[in-house]
Amino acid sequence: MHLLLALLSCTQDPTPAETRPAAPEVQSPDTRLKRLTDAQYRNVMRDLFGAEVVVPSSLDPDQRIEGLYAVGASYTTISSYGIEKYESAARSIAGQVMDSESLKAAWVPCTPVDVRDDDCASQAIAALGRKAWRRPLSAEELELLVLVAAEAGLVLDDFHEGLEVAFSALLMSPYLLYRVELGDGERFDDFELASRLSFFLWNTAPDEELLAAAEAGELSEEAGYSAQVDRLLADERSREGLRNFFSEMLQLDRLDSLSKDPTVFTYMSDTLGPSAREESLLGIEALVYEDDASYLDLFTTRRTFLDRTLAALYDVPAPEREGFGEVWLDIADGRRGFLGQASFLALQSHATSTSPTARGIFVREVLLCQVIPDPPADANTGIPEVSRDAATMRDRIAIHLEDPFCASCHVLTDPIGLGFENFDGIGRWREVENDVTIDASGELDGEAFVDAWQLGELIAAHPETGPCLSRTLLKYATGSLSDELDDSLQDWHAEGFEGAGHRVLWLFRDVALSPAFRTPGPVAEDSLSEDTGS
Amino acid sequence: MKPLFPSRALDWRVGQPLSRRALLGGVARGAVVTLALPPLAAMFNAGGTAYACDGVLPRRFGLWFWGNGNIPDRWTPTNTGDGDAWELSEQLAPLAALKHRLCVVTGLKSLLTNTVPHTSGAAGMLTATPLQSTGDDNTYGAATIDQVIAAAIGGSNIYRSVQTAASDCSGQSYTGPNSRNPPETDPYAFYERIFGETFIEPGKKGVVNPSLGLRRSALDAVMGDISRLNARLGAADKARLEQHLDGVRELEQRLAILEENPPNLEACERTPALSADFSDLLGRPQIEARNEAMSTMLAMALACDQTRVFAHFTHDPVSNLLFEEASSGHHDLTHNEGGDQPEVNAITVRLMEMLATTLQKLEDIEEGDGTLLQNCAVLACTEVSLAQTHAVDELPVVLAGGACGYFKQDHHYRSYSGENVTRLLISLQRSMEMNVSSFGSDAAEDDEGLSGIEA
Repeated sequence: MHLLLALLSCTQDPTPAETRPAAPEVQSPDTRLKRLTDAQYRNVMRDLFGAEVVVPSSLDPDQRIEGLYAVGASYTTISSYGIEKYESAARSIAGQVMDSESLKAAWVPCTPVDVRDDDCASQAIAALGRKAWRRPLSAEELELLVLVAAEAGLVLDDFHEGLEVAFSALLMSPYLLYRVELGDGERFDDFELASRLSFFLWNTAPDEELLAAAEAGELSEEAGYSAQVDRLLADERSREGLRNFFSEMLQLDRLDSLSKDPTVFTYMSDTLGPSAREESLLGIEALVYEDDASYLDLFTTRRTFLDRTLAALYDVPAPEREGFGEVWLDIADGRRGFLGQASFLALQSHATSTSPTARGIFVREVLLCQVIPDPPADANTGIPEVSRDAATMRDRIAIHLEDPFCASCHVLTDPIGLGFENFDGIGRWREVENDVTIDASGELDGEAFVDAWQLGELIAAHPETGPCLSRTLLKYATGSLSDELDDSLQDWHAEGFEGAGHRVLWLFRDVALSPAFRTPGPVAEDSLSEDTGS
Repeated sequence: MKPLFPSRALDWRVGQPLSRRALLGGVARGAVVTLALPPLAAMFNAGGTAYACDGVLPRRFGLWFWGNGNIPDRWTPTNTGDGDAWELSEQLAPLAALKHRLCVVTGLKSLLTNTVPHTSGAAGMLTATPLQSTGDDNTYGAATIDQVIAAAIGGSNIYRSVQTAASDCSGQSYTGPNSRNPPETDPYAFYERIFGETFIEPGKKGVVNPSLGLRRSALDAVMGDISRLNARLGAADKARLEQHLDGVRELEQRLAILEENPPNLEACERTPALSADFSDLLGRPQIEARNEAMSTMLAMALACDQTRVFAHFTHDPVSNLLFEEASSGHHDLTHNEGGDQPEVNAITVRLMEMLATTLQKLEDIEEGDGTLLQNCAVLACTEVSLAQTHAVDELPVVLAGGACGYFKQDHHYRSYSGENVTRLLISLQRSMEMNVSSFGSDAAEDDEGLSGIEA
């Protein structure tokens, strides 16, 4: 029911077509091979072979560039250790397929007449290849892999074991490990469009229906393309895409390895990080799918989802004995919105203390898309230790704002970050620090606030908050650096997003329909941009 | 050749005199048996085939990197010179048992403009090349020294190089811009990598296992895919795919070595299986235990000639790793601890204890008439000197092992003129018998070695 509502509102353009100007005609970003991220690789394997298939726990780690794995995927390489791991994973998974009667039946749709049966091998390889490589294999590619299967089958004296070797080759191929969406300089082909849509909206490879639409040439047609955009967004699987985007943007994956001193933070536990991530993602899902509400509400909503771990941390009654339940926070709880959640508060802190500077940088860089320069290399960054004159973090880092040398940057971050000082390094509420009452007041770009409850409202009202989400989603969808995306196009999306009431599904659809997403730039010829170190 | 002492000790305790060794006789970790062994010379000249540095045993290179610098006043030894002329400083004291294998180098300087705190220093120390930008982020502009050396000397081994870490970190080994070689951070996974399917028991011949050949045939198909894909790419992606192809080739060669010509060095032996739980204790990584486990395996990976190059990281530049007994994360402390920074000092000393652990593992493995460490050059370094000010002069360097006598040993060399740290990188390459006429780029470029440390 909720989903249906979301679907309806999402397909109805809230800005009447006649009032929204046409998208500016600009150059699309250069096309680059994109590595599958760790999450995408796992999702693809799950979709192909089921949730039971065992994928090695450690693959080649993703790297963020401009805050997103999606951008890092366009620039980084797979290490030689990574090649080793992907080869090992491919052999293991191909082996699991042949060891499972049901998977074998699904992926070997024929009965071989001998240890070498090229027709049967060809059917199986073509079927898996089309799904795994997100396009039909060429005759040459098919022939080569059939030969691999035939040779291996003869050596091992077993058709299926031979086919397993060819399957492993398919699964470690660059056509699986990279998204090859290069276009021809003017347009992406149907399969490239299918892959782009699917990885953007579902964070996994196209399903059968999308591949079939690509084969039928429907994605080159406006109506066929937008019909698939709407279908993908209306499907439950788009939740995975939404969750992945916000997880990358808000760095929620880092919650798996929170390092906190439990003697300082007594509510710290191994489950806190994963619980905190789930709280944030459940809140975003509810805001987007159940309410189809404004993204800006993320910073003021009193609704959240807590399990027992988090309820204890927040000092509220646990809504459920097991798992997560809905909780409506009150001003007496001191916290609301994403910035009152343990995920943000714990991640942007040190192991034994808060970090107003890190919290402020996060707000500026991630939520407002502003760039805070690195401190000068010769900065002497010592701050006083806790003393009677400097009991609170605010007192201790006062030098950041008093010394003009430091203040030029810290004035941008600390007055925001100090607003969260009522929350300790894992997000537990506190009134005092070292017996001194905490002052959590401050200002955000000229607007004063008394505490984090009010600060949430200022973030929601900030003119850069909405545009920043739209810029970040455009970078995420295209895997491009900010500089590669034309400013006028970014502004056009941001204005549309505002006109649409900052509804997130609307924005996903708008970006999926964006010329920057649908049409390719030239293949990238640069090595890297100029030096910064000299 | 048959090993002289098949059950030779593998897990020496740091600081034990060589005549009394802790032997883990294939039993559970912790059950320590000590026994007296005859002096080295009597043990190793008997076979008459292997002498240190006679050209039979390979030279190896190790990068041992820690984050967040040192405190120069407590690091730099008072005197310079050889042997008794110099003494270890407070921060270097944990290396006492290995002083005769060390060349401590102080006073070197990175000549790159120090634009990005920590990162510029790391670029100077490891690449001698200015950083490059990708959007708002930076990456190294060239391969790091371990990869430069691995490309020259690592090619005939099962692993061209290996990367390990004693904590969950990114590591600083790069094959080129945005081409990071992530370190293995899990000792169990590293054990599997070294002593799993690629390990051939000493004295054994290559295995004729049809599955190895079939894996190569799958890799051949992958190389065909790479070649077809390459034809469609622009220069940026061609370079990335070249790295990919390189990795596939390395893997294919590994399979060939296992089939045809597995390395077979006398000192090689499987280390005891791991049983410890390495997970964090009270929010603090067990960095010392992980360092020791990794070091034991790294030493044997070298002794077994599985690789000739390693890069080992305790933690990254700017890491806020929470050390045992520290009141805050390491990087945080370097900036925020007042006075003469006793906590930062204690962490630096602790890191040198960890370095001593690694070096002792190498020293405890006999090779020819010397030790494995003598056949190595281990560069222990970090990205800044005093982290509080992000200083890139006075870069702290411990060079251990001497690379078969290439470098002075039991020596403190101080560069009073603040020589370019690139010169050290040039000397290191030359110690690995590489021809290097110049190295680095921009302000860091140099064409001379650091003659003051060469023997």
